[in-house]
Amino acid sequence: MIPALTNLTRPMPFLADVEESFWFPKQASSFASEVDWVYDFILYICIAFFVPMMAFMVWTVFKYTKKKGTKAESQVTHNTPLELAWSIGPSVLLVWMFVQGSISYLDMRTPPEGSYDVGVQAFKWGWTMDYGGGTFHPELHIVKDEPTKLSMRSTDVIHSLFIPAFRAKKDIVPGRYNYMWFKPTVASEQVSEEELAKAKKQSEGGDGWDYDKYQFTPDGYTFFDLYCTEYCGTNHSEMQTVVVVHETQEELDAWIKANSSRPDDQTPAEWGQLLYNRRGCSGCHSNDGSKLVGPSFKDLYASEHALASGDSVVVDDNYVRESIIDPKAKVVAGYQPVMPSYKGQLSDDDIESIIAYLKSLSSNADAK
Amino acid sequence: MSTAITSRDPGYPTDRENYLTNSSGILSWIFTLDHKRIGLMYLVGVMTSFAVGGLLALGIRLHLLDPEGWMFTGAEANNIYNQVFTLHGAIMVFLFIIPSIPAALGNFLVPVMLGAKDVAFPRLNLSSFYLWCFGAIFFVSALFSSGLDTGWTFYTPYSTTTDTSVILATLGAFILGFSSIFTGLNFIVTINTMRPPGMTWFKMPLFLWATYATSIIQVLATPVLGITLLLLIAERTMHVGIFDPEFNGDPVTYQHFFWFYSHPAVYIMILPAFGIISELISVHSHKHIFGYRFIAYSSIAIALLGFLVWGHHMFTSGMSSLTTIIFSALTFTVSVPSAIKVFNWLATMYKGSISLTTPMCYAISFIFLFTIGGLTGLFLGTLATDLHLHDTYFVVAHFHYVMVGGTLIAFLGGVFHWWPKMVGKLYNETHGRIASLLVFLGFNLTFLPQFVLGSRGMPRRYATYDPEFAFLHQMSTYGALLLGCGLLYAFIVLMTSLAKGRRSPANPWGGATLEWACTSPPPYYNFERPPVVGDPYDFHNIEWDAQEEKYISTEPERKLVPEETPEEVPAHH
Repeated sequence: MIPALTNLTRPMPFLADVEESFWFPKQASSFASEVDWVYDFILYICIAFFVPMMAFMVWTVFKYTKKKGTKAESQVTHNTPLELAWSIGPSVLLVWMFVQGSISYLDMRTPPEGSYDVGVQAFKWGWTMDYGGGTFHPELHIVKDEPTKLSMRSTDVIHSLFIPAFRAKKDIVPGRYNYMWFKPTVASEQVSEEELAKAKKQSEGGDGWDYDKYQFTPDGYTFFDLYCTEYCGTNHSEMQTVVVVHETQEELDAWIKANSSRPDDQTPAEWGQLLYNRRGCSGCHSNDGSKLVGPSFKDLYASEHALASGDSVVVDDNYVRESIIDPKAKVVAGYQPVMPSYKGQLSDDDIESIIAYLKSLSSNADAK
Repeated sequence: MSTAITSRDPGYPTDRENYLTNSSGILSWIFTLDHKRIGLMYLVGVMTSFAVGGLLALGIRLHLLDPEGWMFTGAEANNIYNQVFTLHGAIMVFLFIIPSIPAALGNFLVPVMLGAKDVAFPRLNLSSFYLWCFGAIFFVSALFSSGLDTGWTFYTPYSTTTDTSVILATLGAFILGFSSIFTGLNFIVTINTMRPPGMTWFKMPLFLWATYATSIIQVLATPVLGITLLLLIAERTMHVGIFDPEFNGDPVTYQHFFWFYSHPAVYIMILPAFGIISELISVHSHKHIFGYRFIAYSSIAIALLGFLVWGHHMFTSGMSSLTTIIFSALTFTVSVPSAIKVFNWLATMYKGSISLTTPMCYAISFIFLFTIGGLTGLFLGTLATDLHLHDTYFVVAHFHYVMVGGTLIAFLGGVFHWWPKMVGKLYNETHGRIASLLVFLGFNLTFLPQFVLGSRGMPRRYATYDPEFAFLHQMSTYGALLLGCGLLYAFIVLMTSLAKGRRSPANPWGGATLEWACTSPPPYYNFERPPVVGDPYDFHNIEWDAQEEKYISTEPERKLVPEETPEEVPAHH
């Protein structure tokens, strides 16, 4: 059965949230009202042209549809003043669109001095935000009313970072840094403890957190969507993450601290699993044996693999470590050397945790 | 018609004269040099490509019926989806839209409208058709080898690293480029040198102006595409280091190269459509086209300005602010000539004598859809709003309104308008009009929701999407199904006419351009001698013959001898 038929009966989803307009998602940055205003104004101009033109056309069709063979009332061939008027007249409006568009654009291009800087690394198919001090996380966490600058780079192909609620977008081109900035104006809300606990319980044992289903992060914040908008291959449509806007810098600092390294109450294997989901490993390496871009992690540890160079290698601690720091050194036969290096991005404890996680996934005797 | 005025009607061709029947056998088609037969073969070719591209489009829409993907399932679902949208784009652009009007209709019409016997270089013309076939074979073989998943734009470094058949497909596009250059070259020479005595530039039908402007772009821009694709192949095979950052190349350079061709190519697609609409509106309103010179000049203006605006495809790519702003300004200039044409068409209909024939229905829906397509371009030319709308469904909707609502609708209008001339049969008008209405409704239902999807933040080229976009995507899919039915209906109407259609008179619509002055279908030699050339939009002497249901040209009684003898006899007499 076609699934959509059942959905048609429910109310138009985009009218459910009163804060959203017909055309746009919520306005959550200082750019949003500016962009929406320019958009609305162009829309009114277009309607002011389109409606009379089409009304005129329809009226003409009704009025002048004649029996075959009737001669036209007029055979006028041209009217230069009239034609010049409708050629040059509307140009004034085009000039306004150009000027207003460019002024707003320059604002959006120039980050203010002293903006809060977050590093963004885009890869097939995920995001890693660099908060400094060795803290990396796929979610973008920023502070309300604080101008934020993103310094973005890509390790493989072109990506593009788009936050609809901020009306901000910029391509991320490999081989260079691209920058963008925005000032969020609406803070994320925190859901109640019970709701969060319920959702956490529900998602246990599944494959990761379902943002779309719960509409809040595993930390209990509501979020804004962040999309990749430059086609980048197989899982382009899954290259999404979320933006969480904190009320205060203190709140953000606390969140960063909580995510900077393995908490004391977590085993290395648990932390390794978290890193596996969080740092993009899961995009290319499955944990259930299915073949993706890279070899599956299931039963990988302590197994023997043929390399592209013709040698073979037993997957041990040192091989895993080398493959994370210098992935192109020993590529398993049958796979492309496409993995980016994680050198300097994972602490020793992180790498050990990933090794522990790999061990937990392996049924090879030596892994125990 | 019993009247003292003499009337001109070429009658019907004999089987020996008819270009379709004057020789027979498959070889008489394969080796034909007759521009009309080549045009017809192109028509079959582009329609087949359109059918394939259209089915792929339905695949895309059906997949997007559900946020998690409905049509393609399993581990390879996303890859299949990516290949389907890539081939949809590549086939529609390179195999359908670019050759549709210029190569299929243009080949048939240009010499006939000029009163000439053929194009300037008939052999070059045939070779361009075979190049098109070879290019198509390359595309199909890419499809059947390892697929193609780069998008029709082949952006680097994705296209230099993916392990799908990029080289096969780019070679295909390279060959198709030559086909396009040959056609353009042929038309430029034909229009420059083969106009009949009396047909000055400003007595040419506007379709020829549009074709001429298109040909200029084809000849000047397409070589850049060829160079770009060769460089892409060199980068992929030899790592020459021009586009791939891994070898010190710059991916944005590729985008500049690519859009330097592909933006003018947008005008290769839409300019001939403008030409068709100018003909259709004037003929079916039985009124002189309004502002001939403005329409003619605006075609040339678009062709030239079209070369200067490629940067607007790259507003978010990280060009310098100054470059970006300059491209924004240039982009707005190109919107003016398009607007001029729309105003002129509306003025042509005013006080005309409109016949709501099938071609006219398409022309009216063209004006409606193209105006939306043009106006929504303003949101994308404006920098502030483009940053939000870039690479979203808003862009998808915008260019489909221009390419489908514009070019495809004009192409259909043109096919229905010249069908009686091409095959000598009339189709059923009622069914033709119903089909055009279905196409119009289906098209709007498909693409109007996509504007809202885009402004609400739905990125393009997504195989799966967030559930909040589901409703609009579903509307779009149902629209696409309706559009598909409408197009199939239109096709059936045409095919039925071949079997059951009434024989077409020479001038079924009352046109004044030269193609209506020869029989339907034209004899293989088109015209015995260069025809009398008048104003192509002067309908004064075209009369409806109700008895035989056809239009005839009348010639007013001419006084060849003065009635009175002058009193004085000249001296030299």
